[in-house]
Amino acid sequence: MKPYDRAIRRVVIAGLLLAITLLLTFTNVAFIPVPTPAGSATIGHIPAIIGGILEGPLVGLIVGFGFGFGCFMNPLVTAVTNDPLVIWLPRLFIGVTAGWTFALLRRANRRVLAAMLVLLTLLVLYYSYQVGGKILWLGILIAFLAGLGSLALYNWARGEETIVIALAIAGAVGSLTNTVLVLSAAVWRKVAGIGPEVALGIGLTQGIPEAIVSAIVAVAVVSALRQIGKRRGARL
Amino acid sequence: MASHEALRHLTIGQYIPADSPIHRLDPRAKLLAAGGLIIAGVVASKYSNVLFLALLVAVLVKVAGLRLRSALANLVPVMPVLLVMALLQILFYGGASRSAGPNRLLVEWGLLHISAESVRVIVVTWARFVALFLLITLLTSTTTASALTRGLEGLLRPLDRLHLPGHEIALVGAIALRFLPILGEQLEAILQAQASRGVSESRSRWHLLANARRMAQVIVPLFVDAYHRAEELILAMQARCYHGGKGRTYLIPFRSRPADYVAVILSISLAVLAGVLQYSTLP
Repeated sequence: MKPYDRAIRRVVIAGLLLAITLLLTFTNVAFIPVPTPAGSATIGHIPAIIGGILEGPLVGLIVGFGFGFGCFMNPLVTAVTNDPLVIWLPRLFIGVTAGWTFALLRRANRRVLAAMLVLLTLLVLYYSYQVGGKILWLGILIAFLAGLGSLALYNWARGEETIVIALAIAGAVGSLTNTVLVLSAAVWRKVAGIGPEVALGIGLTQGIPEAIVSAIVAVAVVSALRQIGKRRGARL
Repeated sequence: MASHEALRHLTIGQYIPADSPIHRLDPRAKLLAAGGLIIAGVVASKYSNVLFLALLVAVLVKVAGLRLRSALANLVPVMPVLLVMALLQILFYGGASRSAGPNRLLVEWGLLHISAESVRVIVVTWARFVALFLLITLLTSTTTASALTRGLEGLLRPLDRLHLPGHEIALVGAIALRFLPILGEQLEAILQAQASRGVSESRSRWHLLANARRMAQVIVPLFVDAYHRAEELILAMQARCYHGGKGRTYLIPFRSRPADYVAVILSISLAVLAGVLQYSTLP
């Protein structure tokens, strides 16, 4: 491949993903109605995640910029706040973290992934121990759910290729970047109606389903694209 | 179904040729002016400022010889969702205080509290949305995609000194604008194809899993289609030995005329004015 071909590929893919982002945010297809205070979960960040995974953090950054802009134009979002530091800035990083995560994990082997799962489970179990100190039943519930969740994850991961696992993790990380950064920015800038407790509530009730959805969609989309890309010299 | 059909009429990104003062402006000036107005729109959050801005943009649309009706028709597909949201926000915005002041209570009936503040938030948000939407429609329908790209490239030229790819960034924007209507049509086709096969349009908030699955069914074909188009475009660019903007010259170089400077100065002063008025005492 000639040196400039890489750049052409990046520019074109970034352009198409940007178009998808703008389309999804302008037409409200990107906002799934959910029963939480925020009213809708988003899938508008998925092109940014895919951009980060396919062509690296720079493309993810550009598409994330477009998502921020699209959110800015959307009255569903601007009714809550019109502060660019809340709406725009955090969304730049969605594709960047997803791209980095994928770059780190795509070569990882099973043992590393299993160790990470164990570490994550231990962290959540420690948290549930802390919660259990204050409210016993809640702590037991969280521990139970964590155990169940990691068993399910382990069971799923055993049968999959490592690249699929890496894709799913990258999708979830990109989505969580969106949730965590936007909500912490909202708390930091003191957006009306979003205090720390409300933000934590939205983060749990909305961030986790969003992360799961974007993990599923990232795997589905990138697996579909791999079939096409293999013939044409894409990086995957 | 009706919501699917309207996607095709998304005129953002479609040039409408005409000979108006706005069509004749230098694209660089138009981009800068639009940027100034967008900043003004984002900063303004009082009735007077936002409504003035919406009016101004509507006048500009008229000056450009576009039909205001057809520009506003783009908003129709997104209306139903937005109306429901606006209603919910008016009813449950909360935070109202019983005393007089900016956040006084207007209506109280059982659980419902409608405060002056929540009405303001909704009206301002809507006026702002309409203004910004019209502004972007105006920009893209009075400027060809290639002129926009060149204008953006011209504005990003200083980035070259910092060894950042100004030309490539402009090209990304151009490709996105060019493919926006095409992908809109594609999305509509996908939605209609699925509807014709009996995929139900359940948008209930509680069908979380069903909604998510439906979303994946729509979005995966869209991505695959976009990727096919991307591969074709890449091949076409490689076949024509495209190698970036370095050393490229143009048949018709841009020349700024006094009208361009006037437009830029006016819009930037509007943005500054919006910022100043925001912190003054007008209602």
